[in-house]
Amino acid sequence: MIIRDKFKIALIPFSALVFGIFALILIIFFANSIQIFEKEGLAIYTTSRWLASEDPSLEFYGVLPAIYGSLYTSGIAILIALPLSVAYSVFVVDYAPRRIKEWLIIATDIMTGLPTIIYGIWGAFFLVPFVKKYLMEPLYENFSFIPLFSYPPSTGHSFLSGGILLGIMVTPFAAAIIREAYRTIPYTYREAVYALGATKYEATRVLIGYIKPAILAGLVLAFGRAIGETVAVSLVIGNTFNISPSLFAPGYTISSLIANQFGNAFIYEHMVSALFAAGLSLSFIGLAVNLLVFRMLRRWEHARS
Amino acid sequence: MNSLEIINLNVYYGNRHVIKGINLKIPQKVVFAIIGPSGSGKSTLLRAINRLIELDEDAKVEGDVRLFKKSIYEMDPREVRRRIGMVFQQPNPFPHMSIYDNVALGPRLNKLVRNKEELDYLVEWALKKAALWDEVKDRLGDLASKLSGGQQQRLCIARALALKPDVLLLDEPTSALDPVSTAKIENLLLELKKSYTVVIVTHRIQQAARIGDYTAFLLDGKLVEVGDTAQIFVNPKDRRTEAYITGRFG
Repeated sequence: MIIRDKFKIALIPFSALVFGIFALILIIFFANSIQIFEKEGLAIYTTSRWLASEDPSLEFYGVLPAIYGSLYTSGIAILIALPLSVAYSVFVVDYAPRRIKEWLIIATDIMTGLPTIIYGIWGAFFLVPFVKKYLMEPLYENFSFIPLFSYPPSTGHSFLSGGILLGIMVTPFAAAIIREAYRTIPYTYREAVYALGATKYEATRVLIGYIKPAILAGLVLAFGRAIGETVAVSLVIGNTFNISPSLFAPGYTISSLIANQFGNAFIYEHMVSALFAAGLSLSFIGLAVNLLVFRMLRRWEHARS
Repeated sequence: MNSLEIINLNVYYGNRHVIKGINLKIPQKVVFAIIGPSGSGKSTLLRAINRLIELDEDAKVEGDVRLFKKSIYEMDPREVRRRIGMVFQQPNPFPHMSIYDNVALGPRLNKLVRNKEELDYLVEWALKKAALWDEVKDRLGDLASKLSGGQQQRLCIARALALKPDVLLLDEPTSALDPVSTAKIENLLLELKKSYTVVIVTHRIQQAARIGDYTAFLLDGKLVEVGDTAQIFVNPKDRRTEAYITGRFG
């Protein structure tokens, strides 16, 4: 009893440290953002002008295009990750022969652990020209009247390239969660659906419905990875302040903006603070997404119990 | 005519021989009880009757099962499963679906209905047959997981009945239920045998005695004895049957 209490007491500083660091991070971000909030107010988040000047009175920073780009590319990534990870999970669990199954799981695990710069370089040297030639150019030539395809694909660096690359990068994360959820569906539900005369396809559809909360959780994780990804995206997105509906237009993301600008930010009076505020917006987005999903899961769980 | 005829049935899981040359004739519109200790092959036998056993890649089946004289191995497995409904040991309605959708799923998958009215009618009919309608008619849209265990099991019976099967298989359907829910299900089965052949696997000997018209005793994958329930319980021919029903092993 006494020993256990001692152990408990010994654990407290460690768990306190974890939360302490988290609090410290938020405090530093808030503290450093105050300067730009005092100067611009919320205009930092709601305007698109990015004006670095050695004269502090001319400086103005609006990161809306980067927020837009982050959401746009991460959205594309999720749209790609959803079908890929679900299809992968069903194939691995239901169809892949036992020996191939192991390899498929190992392969996706390796993909989650690959340094992101690897994806970035691959994306810049292979994916961008490939997507430009076989996707953007044909679509632009034939369907440029549709706003999504309306921007001339000059370099190939674009929201689409960023989104596809992110989709490839985050699919293994979503896939791992969805695969495990699909694999651990109680056998009795499989039997139940086949006992009703379902085909394999029909049974899969019903069982996918059963793991809907896990699919959502997998996608949230993927979204979090996508919106926080920095290096790889900055190599393929074009790093341009731009709000355009077109997939083929170049853009920026919050993370790539910070990575690109931080090196010279110290030259200017307000830019460092602007970048901290930009980073802070990522935490807000993350918080909002997590709250939203938490509520959805709670509702499902509540309905289920 | 017999509704089911099981002819020299053998089932193997890999090297394990779990059903050993079973022959059985199951008449129409009766409750046919299958008893035996755990591991005697009761559940496997049921799953061979509706070809659900084929979900397990390791399982191998020899012999034949005939449904109204037609071999189920010459039929599409989906048709076999539609005509031979099944209810499982754990109540397993789909928890993410509403009460209505659980019952409607089978008819939808098998395209048994042409429109919403027909489906509504069929769902109501099945829930009434399963003696659940009065308890759920005002909340058909609720998730099935909100029902009690006994209600969930009757929902599973309704789900199976909605396919208009000829035979209903039940694999220890009351083993997870309390005595009141169990009594409800037993009464329901007695009602259902007026229109269906009911085959129930049970490890509760008294349950077989209460509701079975016929009882078959399985031991170690072999059929030891089959006959009128009264005869099996009052005057068993085999010493092992007697030993089992008097509780000397099991």
